[in-house]
Amino acid sequence: MRDDPAVIALVARARDGDQHAWHELVDRYAPLVWSICNRYQLSRPDIDDVGQTVWLLLVEQLGNLREPAALPGWLATTTQRECLRVLRAARKYDSFGSPVESQMSPDQPAVMIEQEVIAAELNAALRAAFAELPPRCRQLLSMLIGDPPRSYAEISATLPIPIGSIGPQRARCLDRLRRSPSLVALSDGEFNGSAVKDARTNDSGGEQGG
Amino acid sequence: MGDSWDDEQLLAALKESLRARRAVPPEFIEAGKSAYAWHNIDAELAQLTYDSIRDSGRTPSMRSETASIRALTFTSAHLTIELEVSEDSLLGQLIPAGVGAIEIQTRAGAIATTPVDELGCFPIRPIPASPFRLHCHTTDGTAVVTGWITL
Repeated sequence: MRDDPAVIALVARARDGDQHAWHELVDRYAPLVWSICNRYQLSRPDIDDVGQTVWLLLVEQLGNLREPAALPGWLATTTQRECLRVLRAARKYDSFGSPVESQMSPDQPAVMIEQEVIAAELNAALRAAFAELPPRCRQLLSMLIGDPPRSYAEISATLPIPIGSIGPQRARCLDRLRRSPSLVALSDGEFNGSAVKDARTNDSGGEQGG
Repeated sequence: MGDSWDDEQLLAALKESLRARRAVPPEFIEAGKSAYAWHNIDAELAQLTYDSIRDSGRTPSMRSETASIRALTFTSAHLTIELEVSEDSLLGQLIPAGVGAIEIQTRAGAIATTPVDELGCFPIRPIPASPFRLHCHTTDGTAVVTGWITL
């Protein structure tokens, strides 16, 4: 995923002053930052603190990211570093140490980060692909994955479409989703976590203490 | 990726992606969006180029708090800012030395201003809440802002 044109374009536009591009980047990757903070079991105020710091650092680094496509990896490692900083600060008042860290083997965070970045990229691509679908498809798929799932009879009454065509329409909509440029870009990219390693070696400019 | 999945797998993955997005509180996302207000402020950015903790190859100890002084260096084309962090204060120095003022900024905005003496030195006490950045103006018209600092 080193050359996802969507991410590269968003970073370039945000760097050049396009606020909408920035908003889209935050929308895309806030779930990644949020999920890492939750993994460290931070309190809500601490999560807000980490989130703000991470986005501030990114605003500052927009012009310096050597591999814009490696942004998710950069965000993940930066979020993790800020979470650890918050936990360290908390420990000054708590001599028992953090249960989160002491349970982890040294390799565990790196492996987790790689998985989280891959999942975040996949999720972002799926959401982008979903947003590109025609409204009728979005409506139908939303009802099919609703919690609790709706019955075909309910869907037929709400949309409205004949029960007999729900199955074929579902297949057509999913096929459209599968062929959307966002998802195709993902499967074409080299998706082996290299973006994460890249971000780790390239983020010296973003290391603001901690 | 997506093209090797059958319909059930794709639907399940879509469901999970939308769930992950819904799990994030709207305020958390809004706070991230508002960080853009800090983009392109009118000063040259001084990057962190040296951090005694990072660059001495020593990772910060989790178990024992050492009392050693931490040193940070921020570098821009026109000005270098050195910072020493002690227990309850910061001591800074501009290189080359120049008289001016340092504004301390936190996410909430500017919280204090401190003068820079003729040797380029400036004390900051107490240590500001993290993260913070230093906005330096010298009398010769140089304006430099450091990257965000978290201690």
